[in-house]
Amino acid sequence: MSAVSTLQLAIAGLAPQVEFDVDDRGVTAAHPIFPPIWEIALQTVAFAAIVYAIYKFGGPSIKKYYSDRTERIQREMDEGVAAKAAAESEALRIRTSLGDIETERQQILSEARAQAEGVLAEGRIRLDDEAVELEARATDEIASIVGRSGDELRAQITRHTNASIDQVVVQSLDDSLHQQLIEDVIARVGAATGPASGNGASA
Amino acid sequence: MSATTDPRIDGYARALFEVARADGTLDEVEDELFRFARSYESSEALRTTLSDEDIPAAKRQAIVEDLLGETATPTTVQLLSMVIGSGRASDLVAIADALVQRASAAKQLEVAQVRSAVELTPDQQDRLRAAIANATGKQVNLKIVVDPSVLGGLVATVGDIVIDGSVRATVEQLKARL
Repeated sequence: MSAVSTLQLAIAGLAPQVEFDVDDRGVTAAHPIFPPIWEIALQTVAFAAIVYAIYKFGGPSIKKYYSDRTERIQREMDEGVAAKAAAESEALRIRTSLGDIETERQQILSEARAQAEGVLAEGRIRLDDEAVELEARATDEIASIVGRSGDELRAQITRHTNASIDQVVVQSLDDSLHQQLIEDVIARVGAATGPASGNGASA
Repeated sequence: MSATTDPRIDGYARALFEVARADGTLDEVEDELFRFARSYESSEALRTTLSDEDIPAAKRQAIVEDLLGETATPTTVQLLSMVIGSGRASDLVAIADALVQRASAAKQLEVAQVRSAVELTPDQQDRLRAAIANATGKQVNLKIVVDPSVLGGLVATVGDIVIDGSVRATVEQLKARL
């Protein structure tokens, strides 16, 4: 006899005899689907005991687990909401900053443009002034060169004339003329009456 | 020609004056020294040579003697040699002028320096002397300097008075006008 058969027999010993047929093939249930009533009752009690034990001893920890889980999920949801709000705030700030940057860019561009125009205008004025000054200087220079050339020419003419005068005078003075000149001076000085005075008296 | 205030020059002039007067050749010495001074004044080569201390004094004195030779009195040559030999060549003109001043003053005369392009005849000198005396009221000791730069006529200087009858003055006026 197998162990199963032995167990079936032991259980059968405890159970009422009418609900089992014991033959040479072992214990055979009276109904092919439902077990006997006492077995259902016994198993129901056992199940209830198990459920109670689970409820009694595992319930709090399960409850706590779910409670913690709920809190965690809630926290994560709150954090998500907060992160979303922060992200939206950041996005808003970035959008604002972008707006500011754009405004600032426009302002800088505007200032740079104004400054460039100012520099350009100033440069034009300066260039115009310099051009006028250069023109005036060139005109003065030309006038000066013309004047200098004229002066040099006059000086040169005067030099040549002076040299020519000396040469002509020296060449034209012979002994008789020298004597005549000396006699003229003597005559003029002799004709002067009374003491002459001061520098540069000329006969 | 102005009177000097340098005591050394006056000292030399007085010494030369006394020697020439004692020798009885004051007029000649005075005239020769004056002429030599004018030559010295106008010749840079002569000035450089006679005042060059690197040339021995004896050699410079020999140059003076060679230059004057027999055209000057021995007293003039000796006095000039003495001045050159004592290293006073640079003061030669001032010494000669001081001597002329002193000699003229001794004769109660004013020095009249006359620059002329050509030499004046003795007659012209006499008449010029008289003419200057008439014009200035001073008796003058005429000192003639032949100066070609005058071109023609003459320039007479008596103290502060200048009588300019030179062609040079006329030419200069003409040049200034040009």
